[in-house]
Amino acid sequence: MREIPYRIAMNEALVEELARDERVFVIGEDVQAGTFGVTSQLVQRFGPDRVMDTPLSETAVAGSAFGAAMAGYRPVADFMFADFIFIAGNEILINTAKWRFAHGGKVSLPLVFMAAMGGGARNGPEHSQSPEAVIMHTPGLKLAIPSTPFDAKGLLKSAIRDNNPVVFFYHKRLLGFRGPVPELDEDCVVPFGVADIKRPGDDVTVVATGLMVHHALRVAGELDGRASIEVIDPRTLEPLDIDTIVKSVRKTGRLVVMDEDTTRCGVGAEIITQVIENAFDALDAPPQRVGAANLPIPGGYIEQEVLPQPANLLAAIEAVVGKSLKV
Amino acid sequence: MTLTRDQLKTLYTNLSRSRRMDEVMVQGLADGKAVSFFHSGQGEEAVGVGGCTFLRPDDFVYSHHRGHGLSHIISKGGSPAAFIAEHYGKATGACNGLGAIHFVDPSLGFFGFSGTIGSAFPVTLGWALAAKKNGRQQVAVCFFGDGASNRGTLHEAMNMASVMKLPVVWVCHNNLYAQFMPLADAFPNEDIASFGVPYCMPTTIVDGQDVVAVHEAVQAAVARARAGEGPSIVECKTYRFRAHAEGAPDVSHYQLRPPEEVAAWRKRDPLLLFRQRLLEDEILSETEIERIDAEAAAEMEAAEKFAMESPSPVPAIFETALFSE
Repeated sequence: MREIPYRIAMNEALVEELARDERVFVIGEDVQAGTFGVTSQLVQRFGPDRVMDTPLSETAVAGSAFGAAMAGYRPVADFMFADFIFIAGNEILINTAKWRFAHGGKVSLPLVFMAAMGGGARNGPEHSQSPEAVIMHTPGLKLAIPSTPFDAKGLLKSAIRDNNPVVFFYHKRLLGFRGPVPELDEDCVVPFGVADIKRPGDDVTVVATGLMVHHALRVAGELDGRASIEVIDPRTLEPLDIDTIVKSVRKTGRLVVMDEDTTRCGVGAEIITQVIENAFDALDAPPQRVGAANLPIPGGYIEQEVLPQPANLLAAIEAVVGKSLKV
Repeated sequence: MTLTRDQLKTLYTNLSRSRRMDEVMVQGLADGKAVSFFHSGQGEEAVGVGGCTFLRPDDFVYSHHRGHGLSHIISKGGSPAAFIAEHYGKATGACNGLGAIHFVDPSLGFFGFSGTIGSAFPVTLGWALAAKKNGRQQVAVCFFGDGASNRGTLHEAMNMASVMKLPVVWVCHNNLYAQFMPLADAFPNEDIASFGVPYCMPTTIVDGQDVVAVHEAVQAAVARARAGEGPSIVECKTYRFRAHAEGAPDVSHYQLRPPEEVAAWRKRDPLLLFRQRLLEDEILSETEIERIDAEAAAEMEAAEKFAMESPSPVPAIFETALFSE
């Protein structure tokens, strides 16, 4: 299979869906140039009516996607940084998420709100967040977070074809990450609600999202021969494939969840609770969660003290197996 | 309101310092010394310098995105060393190394800054409300760009400031682009000052490359605000010389900014224009100007050295940074 960068995989998904369905359009601040390269070169092919640069107005960007979706279009709205979705919090969290339900299921909102998540670029508290938990917490929004180019392409195509609002977070530090993606003539679609076992193992189940999947694979590789780690990427947090996670925990008896958002009230707390509710009897050790400290993400080098690191995951794995795994 | 020779010299000094400091920041990022990003303000310094040099030390200022506010900050007495050290991720930085692109100095009326564009308006309202309540005749000066004027927050804040007669001066850097978005495609009127009409504010539109014109317009609005007569809007027509951010393409939408437009504005460099005027009016000699430029370069070199030699922050700062006692 050919290998392409994550950013290009997303770009291909947009090209293919814009070509496939004339109701699809891309809207946002500077999407024509593409601040992160994800939406670059689309305007040359599809024109400014389908790849629309907007004024600096997040509320209006979200509102346009939200309104156009219920009126028959399939907008993809880009917010540049994931932090900025909160600027349009009313339109995304209050209006879009609740609209269909509040109106008795009589309107559909086939749209994608996408944005770049994640720290590691030392950009400080307003440009480094991974607001997974807030979206997962909000009924009415689906949430996709790809960790590989294959998933980036396949999940984005599913997101655009979904008849519901989907929040799609792509990770800043994975934009250039290369991986296998099917040829252009194959329809690469990754269904929502299907977790992917990125590495099979028998001793510990590690559930991770986004960039943390790569931290988990690295730690699992380093532990090879001392502990067998199964790495599961849920790929979508709503819907969440809890069955695959529970099945894995029934095999390993041990669970660690790693995500980049703030630990408190986070993705780890939710997944661990669901495992306890479903498979308490299967657990051989208290599950552990690894996430960002309960602090805003500072700028500069000190951010690594707040963001979850591979060493934190290793410590959590040691805690669930009850012994040191250092060589 | 004729400026004295010393005041004119101060304005030139702050322009020279701002340009040199911006160049140091651009180089610092290119060399990998600065963390995060930098949005150069070269070409727009006259707005910060003219707007801030003669404010009262206790006036509130919301500094601007361009240059991360450096021309506003140092013109009002802020420390270049603290600014650079923060951008270099050091414990001696203005925000103790936690903010990277942010700056704060409450003793000088700089209570912070946000990178989410449009945040300028509501918080300025709060500062002005405090000023009105405390009776100290402080003024809150809010610098914002043409891009920020596309945000809804502008309307809520300008409306409320007007109906409450709050001591605010809204100062727009209209540099014709919001990142890659040209103003003509973002706003149906070429003057941001047109918001003065719906919100019943006096408006002034000035050449933002003319530091004296900016100074006079802002000071007139400040005097009005201090006298309890409410907010005004000052629009400064300006231009950024470099790309939106270092490393970003210098484009309008997805194509290069028109070279003839860039060249025409570069001829209107605020530093060169003011230097020429001071020479023609025999306010400063070539020698004096060279001395000022050399002193600015030495000051910024020392500030950069301080930043480089400063220690990185340690996690102990987390204990006191999140909540007050």
